This record gives sequence, structure tokens and C-alpha cells, in this order.
Amino acid sequence: MNAFAPGLPTPQVTSQEKALGRATYAGDLKIAGMLHAKLLRSPHAHARILNVDVSRAIALPGVRAVFTGDDVPQRAWGVKHKQQHVLAREVVRFVGEEIAAVVAIDEDTAEEALDLIRVEYEPLPALIDPSQALEPNAVKVHPGGNLADEIGIVRGDVDSAFAEADIVHEETYTTHSQYPGYMEPMATLATTDGSGKLTVWTATQSVFLARQRLAEALDRPVSTVRVVQPTVGGGFGGKIIEERSSVIAGFLAAATDRPVRLCLSRIDDMLSGAFSVPMKIRLKMGMTRDGRITAKDVSIRADCGAYAGLAPEVMLVTAMRSDNMQRLEHTRSHAQLVYTHTMPRGAFRGFGGTQMAFALNSHLTAMADLAGIDPIELHRQNAIRTGDLSIHGWKIGSCGLPECLNQIEGAIGWTEKRSRPKQRGVLRRGIGMAAAMHVSGNRTMGNWDGSTIVLKVNEDGRVVVLTSEADVGQGSNTMLSQICAHELGVPLSHVSVQTPDTDFTPYCLGSIASRVTINAGKAMIKAAREARETILAAAAEKLGCDAIDLTIEDGVVQSTSNANHFAKLPDICRYHIFRHGGEGIHIKATHDPDTVMMDGDHYGNIAPAYSFAAQAVEVEVDTETGQVRLIESWLSDDCGKAINPLAVHGQSNGAAVQAIGWTLCEELQFEEGRLMNGNLADYTMPTADSVPEMHSSIVESMDPNGPLGAKGASETAILPGAPAIANAVFDAIGVRITDLPITPEKILAAIAAQKEKRDA
Amino acid sequence: MRDFHYLEPRTVSEATAMLADHGEEACVFAGGTALILALRQRMMAPGVLVSLGQLEEMRAIRFDPKEGLLIGAMARHNDIARSKIVRQHYPVVAEMAGGLANPQVRNQATIGGNLCYADPSTDPPACLLALGAELTIKGQHGARRIPMDEFNVDYFTVAMEPGEILTQIRLPPPDQEVTTFYRRHLRTPAEHRPVANLALAVRNRGGAFEDVRLIVGAATPAPQLLDGVQDYLSGRSVTAEVAAEAADRAAEEMFPISDGRGDEGFRRQVVRALTRRLVAEAANLDWKETE
Repeated sequence: MNAFAPGLPTPQVTSQEKALGRATYAGDLKIAGMLHAKLLRSPHAHARILNVDVSRAIALPGVRAVFTGDDVPQRAWGVKHKQQHVLAREVVRFVGEEIAAVVAIDEDTAEEALDLIRVEYEPLPALIDPSQALEPNAVKVHPGGNLADEIGIVRGDVDSAFAEADIVHEETYTTHSQYPGYMEPMATLATTDGSGKLTVWTATQSVFLARQRLAEALDRPVSTVRVVQPTVGGGFGGKIIEERSSVIAGFLAAATDRPVRLCLSRIDDMLSGAFSVPMKIRLKMGMTRDGRITAKDVSIRADCGAYAGLAPEVMLVTAMRSDNMQRLEHTRSHAQLVYTHTMPRGAFRGFGGTQMAFALNSHLTAMADLAGIDPIELHRQNAIRTGDLSIHGWKIGSCGLPECLNQIEGAIGWTEKRSRPKQRGVLRRGIGMAAAMHVSGNRTMGNWDGSTIVLKVNEDGRVVVLTSEADVGQGSNTMLSQICAHELGVPLSHVSVQTPDTDFTPYCLGSIASRVTINAGKAMIKAAREARETILAAAAEKLGCDAIDLTIEDGVVQSTSNANHFAKLPDICRYHIFRHGGEGIHIKATHDPDTVMMDGDHYGNIAPAYSFAAQAVEVEVDTETGQVRLIESWLSDDCGKAINPLAVHGQSNGAAVQAIGWTLCEELQFEEGRLMNGNLADYTMPTADSVPEMHSSIVESMDPNGPLGAKGASETAILPGAPAIANAVFDAIGVRITDLPITPEKILAAIAAQKEKRDA
Repeated sequence: MRDFHYLEPRTVSEATAMLADHGEEACVFAGGTALILALRQRMMAPGVLVSLGQLEEMRAIRFDPKEGLLIGAMARHNDIARSKIVRQHYPVVAEMAGGLANPQVRNQATIGGNLCYADPSTDPPACLLALGAELTIKGQHGARRIPMDEFNVDYFTVAMEPGEILTQIRLPPPDQEVTTFYRRHLRTPAEHRPVANLALAVRNRGGAFEDVRLIVGAATPAPQLLDGVQDYLSGRSVTAEVAAEAADRAAEEMFPISDGRGDEGFRRQVVRALTRRLVAEAANLDWKETE
């Protein structure tokens, strides 16, 4: 067995080029004659654009062109709601919306020219507070009103189920927006060729979705656009299809007929939005005295900012996904998505799951306390199990949630720490836990969630894999290489996964919904096995023996019955070509999972498998300064077979840290819709020295639908962090923070209120 | 970033001459961790940067029994944190420098750059003020020395004239009977800039505090000497109650900043906590058990 077989810790196949600084990101690319673009953004949350005078900007030496909303296609683009233009036309709807673009010989000149553009605005009243959005007299963000989407789901008989409950608990939770904080701000290089075809190298999680959107926004046929994914420095949902700068870059290249590079500074990137969807969640649950959940009633108000983007899909996840984690019979969900004059919010790692995980797990711990049950036991008792059909029609082929709960319980010393006496000093420790589930794949973008792999075995026996599933740092190229090398019997170093390119690599949906391992992994197995059969058939012919007796190991075809029958792989691959009627070995394999799209009532088995995770943390609360410090974190991820445990631990720990950031450190500060801390000195993401050693463990529930039993492992782990911390804070100081983030000020205020209550 | 000329003088007098030649067009480059950000955001657009990077003599750290600890203004924070000389004579300074900002900044930024920039959200000024530092400032027409007390005038403002360079920080020979305590507080562990810090120097004479110096930094526009608390503590035997009273007085006496990193009330609360802890620590009391 090779050293990097599936299941063995494998360094990323991209690590060498990254460590050497040789990985090529979009911002590194250069083409002769390349121009640079900079964007002018609206200073108003809501205003009418009366006039844009670009004459002085155009006159600046080095400026090649300046464009405004008057120059861009009239056709509006968007996910379901077609409401955006390449540059704002007539009206701006958030501070930071792009209203003009300068193309110049270098970035500094372009930047200089921005200052010379004179824009005349008529400021209009702005809707900033989402709670005002549906008031009858509210300012309208779009002519159709401020309700972007509404979802209602009812299963069972919720009211009777509440009547049956011994304990009913109701609470409202609020969650805030988080910046994806990828290492690489958005960057794009776009160019046209002599035929007018537009090629766009951009930081994207999906080249084909990017191409679709470029074609729509630029109002041109899909096949006149080619999108190539260079190395991408992280996406976390922000680089799917909502970011706008790649669209603007594509437009500028087409309009100038010159190569145009548009790289956002960190500040620009943050002003563009791409934050997660803030929500207010009212949750009411009923439970019997012995801990069986009888009813769940959820109502949600989510704020998508100025444009809907993927937020309706995000809100749907919040509204119903967590219901599938437990054996529920009676649930009701009502969710409303509203527009405000703030930056667009949408997809973010967890895709709406984090918001509900916070509410649900905070709630379950509170209810466990009311019932006098250990929260882990409450989770265990209600957990969905392998073989179950969930309330929304999800077929749970594997569920390692009970094992995840066992692991975290033992690892943190749960029972012992829960039974210790409450601390009375200035620094108080507490423990908390939470659990969550996520999909592995989601049949949602048309009736296909498949993945295609094209595999070529070269005449030297080495393999080239063509896929458009995007490695954005999460490690899918390594996963595919491991599977391919293992199935084919070649060393890992003999497999190379090519970069996604819409003109050369097969149609794929890309890195979203934790779908790549399960779907592309399956396609990879299929392709590699077919290649193996092809090679063995050729070898059998060449060696004059039965293919059934042959194996491939470490690049050598060997007979299992006759030691003298062997050949090196290159010999066979050359033989496959160099004979009458021969050809190179080119295999194409597609795997489309046996799933369905949700019906009109949001029912149906949308994913081939479901991942689970649980986390336990210990915190220390400084009751004088309000600071919450994490002492320990143990996360257990049921990702099925961990094809690359090294990468799974990386994903788990990274996700856990991102959750810590959302809960304790990161807070976007707005004043009248204007972002006040749009830089990484003032918007503080957790750094290595701010977190304790992060522990993660893996539960291999071996899903029957997964490649070698594997499921998705990139998103589930971000879900339990916030509520685990909130529950630990409650355990430490006896106050529950229900609105994120948990800031020192909120801790101090809660302690003061608690003291006031006690003294009263 | 706009274009600029980058000058690298080989001596301090060459540097001051260059600054005099270019007047308001020129800006000193002493590490650049703050300056480059300002240039990139086009908050500043100097035509000339005069780098002090080649002035090796300004990086020296040495100890003279009569003069005390002499730190060249171009010493990087990590040079100070790792210096055996600093650790021997002023361990509190080494500790302060070793925890400042983050490793990248400590490896690049200099103590002189830090002091001259006078961003309140930083550590050195309060600590150096407590230790009675004296600064050497050179201009085209000679050198002068000023006490640290007079250096920080306000938010981003120091007592230097255009064309002058801060060359050296001097800390008087340590008084073995005086102990200095320093503590920074970060709003969250992910912050790299303090929301408040506190330096306390005391002579502990049989349980009673004497010669108290208490300075609050980062939470105020410039480091602030808390005279009232100093007077309160002087000659007093410190108990938990005294520490708590000093803490309340410190929170009262300070003039806090109010911004995105913490409003006035929060800054006062943090300074109250820091004061109580530092005073208790100086009196060998356990602050953690007190409620």
C-alpha cells in the first residue's frame, strides 16, 4: 500500500508550490499590454445618481477609459432575483456599491483618477434597520417592496405537540454578519482575443457558475466566455457567485478590448460585502419531562442587504436543515428575507447553518437545564440515527452523531468538569457543547448534482486529471490524487490534477455545499477503475495472459499467477497508442448521486449523505473585563471515511477557529450603513496566538453512498462553535448571551444586570 | 501609493540635513509598519522618505552604570525583548517589548518609530514613562534631551520639531528598591493593540508604598500620570480594600478615549480592573480570589 493511500495523512499536493511562492494567483498574472482598474464606490446608502462627470479623470495622463452605469448592459443579473448591473445605474443601494470604473496604465494612476470623478447624488432616505423593512411606511429598496423571500414549512401538528409538552421554552437569538476573511482578496485578470472571446482568470469556487453569471451580466453567449481558475487563496462561500468584481473586470476587458487586471485591496474587498446573512431567530420548543423533543416552532427574519444573491437559499437552510439532526415529528418554520440599504450578504461556510445552530444549541442546553438533564444526554436521546428518514425526507445513510458526542464528552472530561463546584473568583471557567449537521452535496441547481472526471494516462504511465471542481485551499486536488493513485496503482506524485478551465475541463458545479469529496470522489473512483481495466486489457493482450490475473502496483503491471508476466506501466501505455487502431488512454466518468430536488413543500432527499459534528469547549470569563478566553476545544467530525485525515483536521480546526472569530472577536461596525472597521487591524480575526491548541477527532461512519465511505468535511465543523462557547459562558457566569458576538461589553452588562437582580 | 524618493543617510547629521533640505515634503522612515499603511491608503503622500535603516549606531543597546540603559531609537521591539542587557537591568521593558502587537511588527517596527508616531493604542510610552525615561532628540542645530513626561502631547502628537530625529531612549540606572509592573489588556485575545495598559512603579517599604508612579496608557489620548491615585497610595499599606479603592480612583481620574475598540465606560472598567490587579500584585496580594 502506498504511503498516501486514502485514509493516510497526506500533505497537500499543492503545498510545495505554495511554500516556494510559486503558486500563481489571479493577481500574479501578467499579459503584455495589461491595464489596471480601480472602482469608485458610493458614499451613500441610498441615493439617486444625478450626474457623473468623468472628464477630468479621462484627461489624466495614463487613464485609458472611464465607465459608469450608463455604459454597462441594461440586462440585470442575479441568482434568482435579477436586480444587479455591472455598475450601478441611476440609483445606489448601499455604501460601497460600484458606480464607476477607471482603467489606466497602472493602479496608482487609476486610483488618482478616481479622485477626479465628480458625482452628483441626490441622497434619499435609507432603510438600514431590517426590523423596519416590512413596516407599511418603510422606504423601499426595490420597487417590488422589501420582502425578498418568504418560506413556510409545516410538518405534523405543532400546536397539539406543544400541548403534549411538559416544558416549553421560547427565546429570541440574533446573529451578526461575518467576513469570510480569505487570505486572498478578490482578484481577476480578463482579456479578449482577436475573435472577441473573453477569457477571465479569477478567484472562484466554480468556473462554470462564474461563466454563467459573466455571460448573463455582460449579455453575451456563454461560449464567448472562458473562465480559468488560478490558485485561489480561500473562498468560504464568498467566491461562489455573489462577488461583483470579476464581473466588472470582464466587462472592462470587453469594453476596452485590452487585458484588464482588477485586484481588490483588503479594504475594497470588505466594502464589497460578501458577508454572511445576519438573522433574528425566534425559537420555541416543547419537550417532555424525560427529554423527548415534541415540537419546534421557528421564525426567522434575515437581512440580505441590497441584493438577494444566494441569501434565499441560505435562509432556507436556516429554516429547516437542523430539523433533520433529530427525530422530530412536529415542526413549523416561517422565514422572511428582507432588503435593506446595506451591503449584500449571502453564502458563507455553513450556508445558513451557523445561525440556526447557535439558536438551537443555546436553546437545547437551556432546556436540558430546565429538565435537569445533561445536554449531551439530551442530544444523544433525540439524535437521528443511521437508517432513519428525517422529517423533511432526508435518508440518513450514516450518522456518527452519537459517537461524536461520546468523543467530546470523554475528551474534555465533561462529567468531571460539570460536577466541579462553581467558581466564585474573578476568573470563572465553564464548559459547553453543541452539535450540528450538514449536507454532503445538494441537488439544488437544476436537476443535477453530478461530477465529471476526465482522466488521461500519458505514454509514461503518469496521470492527468481534468476536473472543474475547485481546490480553493481545502484540499480536493489531494483527495482526488489519493483516490486516483490508489485505484490505479501509481505513486501519488504521478498524478496531477489540472486547473479548472471552462474550455478544457468538464462541466462541474464547483466547491459548494461540501459536495466535492462525495461526488467528484465517486467520479474519480469510476474513472480510475475504468482506466485500470483499459490498461489491464492492453497488458493482457501484450503479455498474452488473462486480464483477471493482472494487478498494477507502484507503476508495474504484474501477473498474480506467473511472476514472469509483468510489464512497466509506460510500456503498456505506449502499446495502447502505438498499434494499428490505437489511441491514448482517455477516460471520462460521471457520477450523479441518487438524490432528488426538494419538492414545492421543501421535502425530499437532497444529498447523498449527511455529515455531523459535535464540539465541547471550556472557557474562562474575566468578570471584571468581560473577556472570554477559550481554554480548551474538542471537536469531533463525522465525515465518513477520512480520505486525508491531515486535511480533515485542518478543516475542522480552521472551521472551529472561524467560529471562535464569529463568536468572540469579529464584529463589523456600521454607522448608517457605512462600514467603520473595514481593515484587518480593526476587524480582528483570531490569530494563532489567540486560540488554545485546537483538538479535533474524526468519526468514520462510512457512508454507503460515499467514495470509500467518505462524506464532506469542510463545513460541518464551523457550526457548533458559537453555541458551545455561549453555553460555556452560561456555565461559567450564569448569564446567557443570545445575541452574537459575545463582546466584553455584553458580558459586563449581563453580570451587572444579574447582580442588580440578586441585590434587589 | 504615490511615488516618492527614498533616501538612505549614513549618519545622523546627514539624516537631519536631508530632513532640513526637503522640509515638509520629507518623512522619516523608521520601520514602516504604520507609515506604509498610511501611504498605501494615501492618508499621507510625502515626496521624500528619509530612511534611518542604515544608521547602525542607532540600533545599539548598552548599559552604563552611571547613565543607565541606553536604547537606540532604531532598535526593533524584538531586539529589545531579546537583549540580555535589557533583560538583566529592566526585565519589565523586555517583557513589554516581547508582547507588543504581533511577531511581524516586533521584527520590523522600531521603538523610536513607535514613540514618534504616538498612536495611543500601543505599549511603550506608558511603560517608559513609569521608568522615568529621557529621550535624546537631534536636529540640524544640535541635540537636546527631554523627559518622557513632556514627550507625548496628545493623540498622534509629540514634542518634536519638524526636521528632528529621536535618536536614543535612556532609562536611569535601576533603583533596586523600586519594582515596576506593567500590564496590557486586549479587548479580545485576537486583538493586537491594547485597549488599555497600566504601568506601576513602587518602592515597597515594609508593606507601605512609596515613590509611586502610576501611568495609564492606550486608553487615553496620551499616557496619563494618575497623580490622585499616586497620592492615595503613597505611604499606605496596601490591602485588598486599598487596591479596590485605588482602582475606583484610577477609573475616575483618567480621561478615556471612546472609539470602536471600546467606549469610555468600557475603558474605565478595564483600567479599574488593571489597577486593582497591579496594585494587589505589587503588594503580593492575590487578586483572583477577590470578588
